[in-house]
Amino acid sequence: MAGPADLLPGTLEVLVLKALSLEPMHGWGIGQRLDQLSRDVFKVQQGSLYPALQRMLRKGWIRSEWRVTENRRRARYYLLTPRGRRQLETETATWNRTAAAVDGILRLKLADL
Amino acid sequence: MIADLVERLRALIAPGRRSRDLDEEMRFHVERDTAARIAAGADPETARREARLAFGGVDRYAEETRDASGVRPLEDLAADVRFALRSLRRNLGFAATAVAVLAVAIGATTAVFSVVRHVLIADLPYPQPDRLIRIYNQNSPTNIWALSVVDLDALRQETPIFESFGAARFTSVAMAGAGEPEQIPVARADAGFFATLGVVPEAGRLIAPRDEPPGAPAVAVVTDAFAREHLGGPAAAVGRTLTLDGVPHTVVGVLPQGVTALAGMRVPVWPVLQLPTPTRRGPFGYRGIARLKPGVTLAEARRELDALSARLYPLWQSGFKDRTAHFTSWPLRRTIVGDADARLELFAGAVVLVLLVAIANVATLVLVRAQARAQELSVRATLGASRGRLARLVTTECLVLTGVATAAGIGVAAVGLRLVGILAPGLPRADEIALDLPALLVALALGVGAGLLVAVSPLTGVLGGSLTAWRGDLRRAGGGARTNAVRGVLVAGEFALAVPLLLAALLLGNSFLRLERVNPGYDPSRGFTVSLALPSSRYPDSTLADFWRRAVARAQEVPGIVAAGLNTSPPPDNGGDVNNFNLVSHPVPDGGAEPVAPWPVVSPEYFLALGVPLVEGRMFTATDTGTGPQVLLVSRAWATHYFPNQPVLGQELVSGGCYTCPRSVIVGVVGDVKYEGLSGNGEGVYTPLAQNLVRYATLYVRTPGAPEPFIRPVLAALRSLDPQMPLAAVTLQDGLRQALADPGRWTGILGAFAVAALALSALGIFGLMSYVVRRQRREIGVRMALGAEPQQVAGLIVARGMRTVAAGTAVGLVLALLEARWVAALLYGVAPRDPATMLAVIAVLLLAALGACLVPGIRAARLKPLEAISGDD
Repeated sequence: MAGPADLLPGTLEVLVLKALSLEPMHGWGIGQRLDQLSRDVFKVQQGSLYPALQRMLRKGWIRSEWRVTENRRRARYYLLTPRGRRQLETETATWNRTAAAVDGILRLKLADL
Repeated sequence: MIADLVERLRALIAPGRRSRDLDEEMRFHVERDTAARIAAGADPETARREARLAFGGVDRYAEETRDASGVRPLEDLAADVRFALRSLRRNLGFAATAVAVLAVAIGATTAVFSVVRHVLIADLPYPQPDRLIRIYNQNSPTNIWALSVVDLDALRQETPIFESFGAARFTSVAMAGAGEPEQIPVARADAGFFATLGVVPEAGRLIAPRDEPPGAPAVAVVTDAFAREHLGGPAAAVGRTLTLDGVPHTVVGVLPQGVTALAGMRVPVWPVLQLPTPTRRGPFGYRGIARLKPGVTLAEARRELDALSARLYPLWQSGFKDRTAHFTSWPLRRTIVGDADARLELFAGAVVLVLLVAIANVATLVLVRAQARAQELSVRATLGASRGRLARLVTTECLVLTGVATAAGIGVAAVGLRLVGILAPGLPRADEIALDLPALLVALALGVGAGLLVAVSPLTGVLGGSLTAWRGDLRRAGGGARTNAVRGVLVAGEFALAVPLLLAALLLGNSFLRLERVNPGYDPSRGFTVSLALPSSRYPDSTLADFWRRAVARAQEVPGIVAAGLNTSPPPDNGGDVNNFNLVSHPVPDGGAEPVAPWPVVSPEYFLALGVPLVEGRMFTATDTGTGPQVLLVSRAWATHYFPNQPVLGQELVSGGCYTCPRSVIVGVVGDVKYEGLSGNGEGVYTPLAQNLVRYATLYVRTPGAPEPFIRPVLAALRSLDPQMPLAAVTLQDGLRQALADPGRWTGILGAFAVAALALSALGIFGLMSYVVRRQRREIGVRMALGAEPQQVAGLIVARGMRTVAAGTAVGLVLALLEARWVAALLYGVAPRDPATMLAVIAVLLLAALGACLVPGIRAARLKPLEAISGDD
């Protein structure tokens, strides 16, 4: 089954933070943006976004409000809070450090030791 | 953190809206996705399918989102509560019984808590109450009396230790107003009295020092309630005039609303206390209260008062020979509460026992229901409900049950507190009792505590058993042995708690019956009394003897009257007229404490009117007057106490510490009359009315038969003497009943508690054995099929039940031995560990239990073996 299981734990939330740092979006928009951003590398089951959004609401990283879409439909939009922005920065830094370290390890050859 | 809270609250406050929002949001998502796919060229049908597929399970994610919102435990709780309420509604009989039992128990406990807290524990409602003391005279550990004018004057000078000192005199006056003149209780008080307590008037002013000199215009302060009832409200009351004992008193102030008593005196009117100039140390009838200076201890006060007593003694030695008499001080609180604590503690203990019995009883009811529901619980467990989840469900049900009971119990407590005035009329500080926040918190704590205690039984009894066993055999689910063991312990516990209650009730009942059988010294069936008071404003001293003579004569002129006579100390609860005396033939050492005895002042006809026989010597006669020798009559009990095996007639004594007065001589011995309560010893010394100046007396009228027809003519005869005098008649029977009313009420209340505990216990064992019989139908059927006699079967059941009862009763007897301390103070003529009463308790308990066990026993014996074996459970 493709979906969140394929993501590292906690990754989905960072990706959502990143998506929302660009502009406020509703759930479907976030899903589209994730597909687009990851160039379909991650196949996120769209429904799993909602529990994640609810968790992030509780953590105060994002807030939500009901707005009218360009097609004049009512939809719930999610916005990044200042706290969420800080969280994204922290996560990004951590990710970069980890990725660099893991990358370094994976590139190791016996001769390097 | 705050975002979290807001989000959770939002989720909690409007769960329905939140759920609708989520639905809408998810629906929008799928529709938007579908539209996007159609726009990309897919046909609508495929687009819709693919959008759904991409989203995943709507229900699953909705559920996960709800979980993520963090209100799940609370939502579960709400669901559990709703479930519990539904299930209680379905079992209305069970719920009503349990709620009623617990509501009464919790309500009674809350009410008693309020009473105990306000009467025994709370501070007095005056500023810095710890510094308030009351001062008495004392000459032995048991003989304590009030203060005289001399004492008050001396104590007023005690400025080194007293910040202020005040005095009051509790008495009754004839109040002239609209309609019939009325005799009302009043307390005459000085300015210092109010200042010491720190009372602030609601309207007008209090008594001031300028009101105190004799001859100053008479003023009075009234309570708010009195002002509203009689004077048109607090504001209108100031300036009005009340005629008290014929003297007009101007109302100058009104006490704050809610204040009905001050320093333990519950009176509607507080006239000014104007003290006469003393001629001797006595008489003693004033209450003295003082506020200690900050930092002065009670011990220091006692030392200072001892020194003052020593200084004061020589000044008035001629008329007061008792050197051992000295001032003592007591915390004011102690003197107000008095001996109410022993009763209240017993009462509180009893109520807690009843509460525990009620909890145990409801626990067994809940356990029975849990057993009946074992199948349901078992199915839930099989379907995957965790043991913790089931435990929570059961606990919630118990808490909902006790929650409803607590709400009802608070109502019961409110009603109960209204009844306090009726159930315990003499209770001190009754005006301070209220159902306040601490009481409500106690009720709440009792409810939660009871809920948890009640929940313990199904948790250990049913859920404690093996859940897998339920799965194996649904029909036998609910664990037999374990559950019954829990119920057995609960039922035994009920009996254990019932024993001390029943013992206390039977002891009080026994004691009450003894009191009722006590011979008061007179025949109460044929006579009545009228109390008479002669205010000094209308009756100068010189007119008193003449009035009393004429009153007796008028009453005796009424046709049919056997006799009429006067007495100042109505039996059996003598108003407190006791006197000290010293025997001339063997006096107490100089300066020692003199003995005291009830000291009725009577007219010669009193003994005939009450039916008191002459034992030896002579009665008083019309010649025993102020000019003749001072003569006394004594009761037989007094004679045997002070002159055992010696001639009494002709013995002389010095009365009231007056060594310069002529000695009194004993001229006769009469039968015993109980003056110091029915439990008193019947001692008494009589002195003739004609040799005393008396303003208060009770007229005793002897009637040939029932007293009622004679009351109206006698009152009419008296009214012809003085139309202004308030008159009310009380039959001797009613007077005696009054004396028995208080012990009777206590006995009744405790009896009701004991009966409740007994009934609940019997119900408990009945329920347990009925259940055993139901469960063991088959086994019983097999036994009978194999030849067991019906009696044997019944015996088996009864014996099993009685073993549980016996165990509980044995534990209860140990508890009962511990309660002696509290009960002893309330008993008359029976020991707190009276073996016969203990046996009676055991007999009553066992009989009640036997009756309760016999019904299921007989039911077992009547089982048809075949039906029992083949029948369904």
